[in-house]
Amino acid sequence: MPIIQDLTTGKKVECKTGELLLAVLQREKIYVNNACNGKGTCGKCKVTIVNGEASPMSEHEAGMLTTEEINSGVRLACMTEVTADITVKTQNDTTAMKVLSAGYIPEFEKDEGLTGYGIAIDIGTTTVALSLVRLSDGEIVGKAAGMNSQRAFGQDVLTRITYEMEAGEQGITDLQKAVVDSTNQAVRTMCAEAKVEISEIVAYSIAGNCTMTHMVLGVDARSIGVAPYKPAFLEAQTRKASEVGLVGAADATVYCLAQVSGYIGGDILAGAYVCDLKHQKKNCLFLDIGTNGEMVLAGNGRLVSCSCAAGPALEGMNITSGMPALPGAIESVEMKDEKVSFGCIGEEAPKGICGSGILEVVAELIRTGFVKPTGAFVKKKKLSEDDWRQQYLIEDENGSAFLLAPGVMVTQKDVRQVQLAKGAILSGFLSLLKQAQVTVEDLDEVIIAGQFGSHLSAQALAGTGIIPKEAEDKVRYVGNTSKTGAYMALLSHRVRKEMEQLAEDINYFELAESEGYEQLFMECMRF
Amino acid sequence: MDKNELYGKIADAVVEMEDEEVVELCQIAIDEGFDAAEVIKEALIKGMDKVSELYETGEYFLPEVLTASFALNEGVDLLKPHMKQETTSEKVKVVIGVVEGDTHDIGKNLVKIMCESAGFEVHDLGRDVPIDEFIRVAKEVEADFICMSTLMTTTMAGMKLLIEKLKEEGIRDKFMVMIGGGPISQKFCDEIGADAYTTDAAAAVRKMKELKGIA
Repeated sequence: MPIIQDLTTGKKVECKTGELLLAVLQREKIYVNNACNGKGTCGKCKVTIVNGEASPMSEHEAGMLTTEEINSGVRLACMTEVTADITVKTQNDTTAMKVLSAGYIPEFEKDEGLTGYGIAIDIGTTTVALSLVRLSDGEIVGKAAGMNSQRAFGQDVLTRITYEMEAGEQGITDLQKAVVDSTNQAVRTMCAEAKVEISEIVAYSIAGNCTMTHMVLGVDARSIGVAPYKPAFLEAQTRKASEVGLVGAADATVYCLAQVSGYIGGDILAGAYVCDLKHQKKNCLFLDIGTNGEMVLAGNGRLVSCSCAAGPALEGMNITSGMPALPGAIESVEMKDEKVSFGCIGEEAPKGICGSGILEVVAELIRTGFVKPTGAFVKKKKLSEDDWRQQYLIEDENGSAFLLAPGVMVTQKDVRQVQLAKGAILSGFLSLLKQAQVTVEDLDEVIIAGQFGSHLSAQALAGTGIIPKEAEDKVRYVGNTSKTGAYMALLSHRVRKEMEQLAEDINYFELAESEGYEQLFMECMRF
Repeated sequence: MDKNELYGKIADAVVEMEDEEVVELCQIAIDEGFDAAEVIKEALIKGMDKVSELYETGEYFLPEVLTASFALNEGVDLLKPHMKQETTSEKVKVVIGVVEGDTHDIGKNLVKIMCESAGFEVHDLGRDVPIDEFIRVAKEVEADFICMSTLMTTTMAGMKLLIEKLKEEGIRDKFMVMIGGGPISQKFCDEIGADAYTTDAAAAVRKMKELKGIA
């Protein structure tokens, strides 16, 4: 049996001959970025083979790696079979990401006579954020945040639902266990730091998207992944913590916020509640940007919502020089006086571009005419020879690209990816306005919620046309309203009741199936 | 007007997405007594070929391709009534749809447009199409290709199922199966034993021509 030695973790593990490297690493809990869950599409599961030989490289795999990478022994774990002893260098775990949790909390009526402690949780597809709350007065005595361990089964909800389809009941169990285990771990750490006994935890309140809510409760989420995208439940759920597997007092309870639809979940409901969309006199659009752009509009006395498939481009996936928001990532870009400058996380030399950086660079490329309103790069021959932009433009057999920093570029394909995401979100935005018969001019406020959105400037959002230009000075950021909503529901039965009513008041419509959608989407792709 | 010059102008108008100009120029072609089928083949489709080329190099994107195809169809609609008895030459037949469970069809529509522009006979089954429906129509029209698309990872298994069903019925070799869409890869294509996968619509049509031995 071959032995794999990993230099990054120092682990030495055994496997069967011919076993997939990805499967072995996952089994041994060695970190590997597995965004597409072994489908061979994302190219992220890179592992360097330092010593020894593995199965030969297919054309498909070679096509996803640079010549440099191939020469230095880099392989994709999902397409590499272990045939003999090898020494590998796996990736550094990227757990140390900053997770946003602070945010505005409105005044609300707390239940009286509560004792003990409770946990408010926002379960995001990517990150999980928790607060330890003293129930008697609502004081937050501890906070924790981390990655959602389910990422081992894929980056987005669809890939994880696919895992349930492939692995059946076992898949549902695995996904529940992953998120429950990491929640328990965070709860233990918070309790230890705040000197609170685990047995003092009497209540959990959870806000998550519809898929995450199903998965944490161990409920089959498969039907959310296929048309007509109907979840097993929409109503708020109450369980015993012991049934779910969460630690706490013997009779501790778990409350999960209600869902509006398969793609407008408890996290968005929480946001709509925290921002009090129902009682707004103003016309407000609430927007949470992620792999899906999820939004709720309060306008003309109506509440309408939709979700659109933005894809992972805005988060730096499927982007040539894309990377997470870690040291070395370019996060801001400015072009002034015929010069390009950028801001990089940490003191390091630029290695790639993170989500906010991609949006900023594309906004600047459009503003300065590198990229035309159709999304195509301007041709070098159309510019005068002494044009300042000449030195930044690359034209070769792969098409056009913009050189941002040594080794960091934005290609035509990257701009197209952003364009697809922008077309999807803007078309949802305009569809909602149309539904409620509100014009862009009549819109009073655009509320940007969520971890990712908080890093996107109004200038970049409007500059790329994710939101209409007229809305740029109407943007307000509210942070993680999902966790705030969970916190409020933890402390108040009145809040729970109002949220449950709100879930019924919000109308949802299926964007992709709406009349004339294709035409609108095409129009919305223009920068 | 000289025939070649006129055809060149029609092709350019398609590339420039000028639908009114396409219609005007096609009317001139009819008035001049040029063969309608020839105008479609030598002018309109030549223009669309150029569009397809621009799409592949990244110069054009979805909106341009769709607008250009709209201009092309305006021209075809005008010319069709003037076509002589349809020639009996065998057309490449394509059955296309988005697999069951998915309702995102923009990518599929793009492939459909490119196929039609290439002169293929396209049977579009729409979105959220049951696997059996693909097979039923493919048998009925004696299709050359079954083309399936999906944007959602969750529905990829349907593609595999279709190939298994074809095998069960003993008709796997009657059709060529092509797949595409965001989550699809060559690896998946190989795994399920589909005949071809391409990354975009223009490449899909090129591949189909290659598989059918059409220059």
